[in-house]
Amino acid sequence: MRIELALYASLQGYLPEGPPGSSGKRSRIVELPDTITVGELAARLKLPDQPRISFMDGRAVTDHVALHDGTRLAIFPPVAGG
Amino acid sequence: MAMDSILRVDMSDLSVRKEPLPAKWAKYAGRALTDAVVFDEVPPNADPLGPDNKLVVAPGLFGGTTAPNGGRISFGAKSPLTGGIKESNAGGQMSHALARAGIAALIVQGAPAVKGALYVLKLDESGNGSLMRADELAGLGNYDTAAALLAKAGDEKIVTITNGPAGEKLLKASGIAVSDVKGLPNRFAGRGGLGAVMGSKGLKAVVAPLGRGGLEHADKDAFNVAVKKFATALKAHPVSGQGLPTYGTNVLVNVINEAGGFPTRNFSDGRFDLVEGISGETMHEIGEARGADMGHGCHTGCVIRCSRYYNDVDGNYVTKGPEYESAWSLGANCGIGDMDAVAQLDRACSDLGLDTMEMGCALAVYMEAGKLEFGDSDGALAALKSIGSGTGDGPLLGSGTEAVGRAFGVSRIPVVKHQALAAYDPRPIQGIGVTYATSTQGADHTAGYSITANVLGVGGTVDPLKSEGQAALSQGLQIATAMLDSFGLCIFVAFPVLDIPEAFQAIYEMASAHTGVPWDTDMLMKLGRETLTMERLYNEGAGFTAADDRLPQFFLDEKLPPHDAVFTVSDAELDSVHDFVAATAADMGISVPKLA
Ligand code: SF4
Repeated sequence: MRIELALYASLQGYLPEGPPGSSGKRSRIVELPDTITVGELAARLKLPDQPRISFMDGRAVTDHVALHDGTRLAIFPPVAGG
Repeated sequence: MAMDSILRVDMSDLSVRKEPLPAKWAKYAGRALTDAVVFDEVPPNADPLGPDNKLVVAPGLFGGTTAPNGGRISFGAKSPLTGGIKESNAGGQMSHALARAGIAALIVQGAPAVKGALYVLKLDESGNGSLMRADELAGLGNYDTAAALLAKAGDEKIVTITNGPAGEKLLKASGIAVSDVKGLPNRFAGRGGLGAVMGSKGLKAVVAPLGRGGLEHADKDAFNVAVKKFATALKAHPVSGQGLPTYGTNVLVNVINEAGGFPTRNFSDGRFDLVEGISGETMHEIGEARGADMGHGCHTGCVIRCSRYYNDVDGNYVTKGPEYESAWSLGANCGIGDMDAVAQLDRACSDLGLDTMEMGCALAVYMEAGKLEFGDSDGALAALKSIGSGTGDGPLLGSGTEAVGRAFGVSRIPVVKHQALAAYDPRPIQGIGVTYATSTQGADHTAGYSITANVLGVGGTVDPLKSEGQAALSQGLQIATAMLDSFGLCIFVAFPVLDIPEAFQAIYEMASAHTGVPWDTDMLMKLGRETLTMERLYNEGAGFTAADDRLPQFFLDEKLPPHDAVFTVSDAELDSVHDFVAATAADMGISVPKLA
């Protein structure tokens, strides 16, 4: 399947090769196996082993959630502001 | 030296008197103390710009100490914007300066006999002060005012509080500037129109020596142990240890945009198409390319160091931040997607002494009224400048979001208790909506930052799109925040405090070792409840009712893309947020303060 993957802040360097997505240089269109979870993708990308803030199509998701074709996944390291 | 005196400045007879801190206020500092003074001494029906209002400036309990992130300062008064009690919290060095001079609170009261006369209050290291006539500073921006005061001080290390032209003009969107570690007037008690209160007193600035350490602790060794424990926790948590120092607060732009809660073009969308231009990542890259000073503390002793400067293409300082709230209000909310343009708007607000959040919302409403195009940054800058010159719609714009919306018949006016909302739409992030609706301060995200559990996964998880659990979340955070504000702790310590038990323990251990009074969890929460109780009773005296604890109707009716969300927390749930007030008031033996 094909998803749009966006990685932000200190995770940007982990973005794989691929055509850019809707967030310019912060996102890529990536091909993935048909059954893969957020956590499995994070492991494939070798993201640092720390808490993450992940959104699938604008909704917060945990590592156990399965991705599906056409989805947009955005992952942030633990950040905050105010 | 201990923080045990009040400096009472009466503008009516130009007297400056040092008084011992009365026993009834001795247990309070920071927000609790500014509240107590306003509660006891300013009738709730006082004219906010009249002689009966008082501007109170109080360091938190940890002011002047080495407590990590403990140098925040509270500005209090009856707010000309909300009509209720106000505590506006700022960074900068003034908390340390006042505390080291032994001043628990500066109370500025009365009004000058000579209309239009301006004064500077000068303090010395022992906490005495005198007023000097300073008409030559009239109309000067915060930057020129601070520069003039610094030049006058010569080699002496001073800290300043300054009031810009907006405050001098008594405009309701005005804030008060505090100088940072480099003496730049870029830290703000921005919210609630307190610049206008300072202006009504004829006070242009306060100058104090930074002073040296040396505040007494009841148990110095125990204090140092607790400080170390607290600093270790702040550095260990990924948000306070890495995220905030590296990217600053503006890193939230992409997070909240992704969550679909980033108010765009006057709260008409939850995502901004030009978000990349104003994101924290973009700002970080610009800052690196232009050699900006990124990741410093706003005051000595901050270990999180979220503050940063923004430089122009030639590498010259333009402004501080811009913080997330300002990048949003002057950026996405006005449809402006260019960081340099946002920085210019931020600079103009800082120099004129305007709350960036109130102004961003006022400009967006002005745009919605068709007076400017969304995205017109040149027009927005000219509009801000017209506030300084007092021409055209300037005086109206400087009166805030609601005034602008009413003047032009705009139906979507994002205010609660007359104060503009912050950078989180309350429809897809309902917890923050509870805080906006119920806060004593008017719409104020910092009063109970539900973004923690709603979006950031800090301190638990509460589904942001549902109403369940939001009232309890906001209540807990509002109580804890009132406590942090009273201790002078930056609210960003909340991220580690919510997740790391030792960080929370370290707060009461520092307080116990500093004061000699044994603090514990219950006392911390009691302090928070007492603070909010004074605020609620005061607002009741000022005429607020449950009807004021509501969001504007459009948040309940208009669906916000992309989630098509509306605000669904019930009135009964909103009314439950302050269910502790009656019992706390009874315990404290206080009731609604008397009217004049
Ligand atoms: S974390 Fe930021 S706002 Fe808080 S004290 Fe430090 S510099 Fe100031």
